[in-house]
Amino acid sequence: MAPEAEEREIILEARNLRKEFGGLVAVDDVSIQIRARTLHSIIGPNGAGKTTLFNLLSGTMPPTRGSVFFKGRDITHLPPHRIAHLGLGRTFQITNIFPNLTVLENVRLGAQAMGRHNLRLLTHSDKYTQYLDQAEQVIAQVGLRGREHMLAANLPHGDKRKLELGIMLAGNFEVLLLDEPTAGMSSEQVPALLEIIHNILTSGNRTIVLVEHRMDMVMSISDFITVMHQGRVLAEGTPREIASNELVQSAYLGALYGDLTAQAEK
Amino acid sequence: MRVKAIWQYGKVYIILLIGLIILSVIGWRAMGQQSFVRTALSGLTLGALYFMVAAGLTIIFGLMDVLNFAHGAMFMIGAYAGWQFYTNPTFLFGLAPLVLALVAGIVVTPLIQPLAMRWAVPARWQRTLRAVVIVVAVILIIVALLGLDVRGLAKTAMVATMVDPLAEATPQEPLAVFWKRPLLFFLAGLLIALAQARPGDRTQVIRSGAAPRAIVALVGFVLLTVAATLTRESGAISVLKMNADARFFLSLAAGALIGAGIGAAIEISLVRPLYVRPTFLILATMGLSFVLRELTQLLWDPLPYAMSRPPLFSQPGKAASILEWFSKHTLTVEIMGVTFPSYRLFIIALGLAMFILLMLVMNYSRLGMTIRAGVQDRDMVEALGINVRRVFTLVFALGAGLAALGGIGAAPFAPVEPVMGDRFQMQGFITVVIGGMGSYSGAAIGALLLGLARAFGDFLALKFSLTPAVSEASTVIIMALVLLLRPAGLFGKKE
Ligand SMILES: Nc1ncnc2c1ncn2[C@@H]1O[C@H](COP(=O)(O)OP(=O)(O)O)[C@@H](O)[C@H]1O
Ligand SMILES: [Mg+2]
Repeated sequence: MAPEAEEREIILEARNLRKEFGGLVAVDDVSIQIRARTLHSIIGPNGAGKTTLFNLLSGTMPPTRGSVFFKGRDITHLPPHRIAHLGLGRTFQITNIFPNLTVLENVRLGAQAMGRHNLRLLTHSDKYTQYLDQAEQVIAQVGLRGREHMLAANLPHGDKRKLELGIMLAGNFEVLLLDEPTAGMSSEQVPALLEIIHNILTSGNRTIVLVEHRMDMVMSISDFITVMHQGRVLAEGTPREIASNELVQSAYLGALYGDLTAQAEK
Repeated sequence: MRVKAIWQYGKVYIILLIGLIILSVIGWRAMGQQSFVRTALSGLTLGALYFMVAAGLTIIFGLMDVLNFAHGAMFMIGAYAGWQFYTNPTFLFGLAPLVLALVAGIVVTPLIQPLAMRWAVPARWQRTLRAVVIVVAVILIIVALLGLDVRGLAKTAMVATMVDPLAEATPQEPLAVFWKRPLLFFLAGLLIALAQARPGDRTQVIRSGAAPRAIVALVGFVLLTVAATLTRESGAISVLKMNADARFFLSLAAGALIGAGIGAAIEISLVRPLYVRPTFLILATMGLSFVLRELTQLLWDPLPYAMSRPPLFSQPGKAASILEWFSKHTLTVEIMGVTFPSYRLFIIALGLAMFILLMLVMNYSRLGMTIRAGVQDRDMVEALGINVRRVFTLVFALGAGLAALGGIGAAPFAPVEPVMGDRFQMQGFITVVIGGMGSYSGAAIGALLLGLARAFGDFLALKFSLTPAVSEASTVIIMALVLLLRPAGLFGKKE
């Protein structure tokens, strides 16, 4: 954890966000501040509203109320592709890669989408060699070298998750919202992915917001943690503060671990 | 291991290939070489046409989940546009200034947006205001058309004799009377732009760089409108004076462009607001296809027309081989002992060319990569910073353009009539279901199967004096069989 993290400028901020689905309030008056070049984790049980919060931050869904600011700019009503171009990228909890594209094509798509040549769609996709180089570099960074020409569908699950990270890395996003990147991975595969995520944080000028189930993982690598429960923010602070927060301890951590062991037994 | 992998990927191809070879051998033996080759070539011709309809349908469905029931109408419009352009382009040249003027007005949207959004319109009046503005625009368009003999312009190609093309040239309305019409269309376009700018809606975000592009577009379209207004008559005459073969290929391009333009307009105005309501979308596109069919009937009567074949495919005599046809341009060509119309071979070639072009675009261009990615995960593509909306419009235009191209290709071969779209649309849907929604190579295989099934079905029906319904039923039977064995279609990736 970076020692001076608390003094860093705020790069992404949600103010009083609310999202209703019919009568259900999925996100209820959530305000959250993300500081630049930190790793900020959002934890909470299934249905807490974490994914919905990501959808609101990235413009995938409009909020019922409230606003989102990115680098001081109001992005509440921007469409997702324009938010992406401002430098805010996200992954999805379930489908995250393009199975019928090769590994290289997957990563190149990320690089090209954010490039300036966005309009010239009919040119040969290999023509822009800078994207190709960038893609190769990223593939090495996430440890997929040698599998460039494999169809993404044929990768083992753990590698798919790495590829997904690679796509986002190629996009050169300043802020990455990662929705449960370790979901579905076996516990042996998790540390390797964690290391990649940690490398992303330290090697570039990047900020990472991470939604995660596994408490232990979040504790060791996060600068800040926000705990969500039933659409609301239950607690917020450094991992140490969260660990010693009695409200979280008594009312929530037990429930989460219970939830997790129940899942593990399945 | 290796063999297993090849089998995994190619089993559908391998089984189909073996099946086709077995059937061919049986057919060849039972029917004799002559009938077999002739029927197979007819099947390929039909298959090529089915493919041109199905290719757009399947890509549009794969990317946007839209079942476009107006796709057959695009095929029909292509046929009419090509037929008009080839026989007598008076109608197209007469209306071009109006369409261009309308577009010139609409493209100013980004220019008035910053002003319009600051306009203090109370939230509950914003919708009403937009509706009123659109209604006024429609009234302007109606006023602009008052007294213009659109049907007269449309009828010019119906009496074409093609003996002396210049005798077909029809006078247009004099400029002194006509000039008001494009002007009113331009004003209507401006009003539509105003509605699009959503007056009073402050949640809109102004795109930097949109204004300069809008100015360029405005100047460009205004100049085009002026040019089109001045060349209404001379343009049509110079097209008619052109070498007929060149005119034919130009009409392929013109029809495809018109189809693509109409496709883009449909996507932006009708489809885009309804993506969130897929059922409405089916009704809307179906309704649109009725409207377009009735409009065509109104302009050109429900009668079928025969477009004459360009000289390239109509010199008397028979070429002994395809090579000889290249120098003689005869009506028929001898292939493997069978005399076959050269124009049908052209349709097969057109279908093949379209398939290769589509394959290149889909596999090697950035647009293709984006489409393939978007078919699999639209949200992710958007999160990567790609404007999916714009890709949707492009793909819709591309699909409509392909269907229109197919329509013109079919025009000198099948009767040009308002219902032609519906017939081909039905087969197009069956093709897409067989090939698998979203897969263009599946559409190609499906079209091939359907075309052959139709042709051989017809042959059998004739031979055993059965009803022709047999061959029509055969396509549906193939579809049912494929769906039983592979519910997602032969190459389907999504359900
Ligand atoms: N598109 C949607 N439509 C209706 N309800 C939804 C939608 N997305 C999420 N929800 C509901 O909102 C709540 C929060 O869900 P979610 O944000 O996915 O939680 P988490 O990611 O923390 O597990 C859940 O009760 C879920 O059922
Ligand atoms: Mg979730």
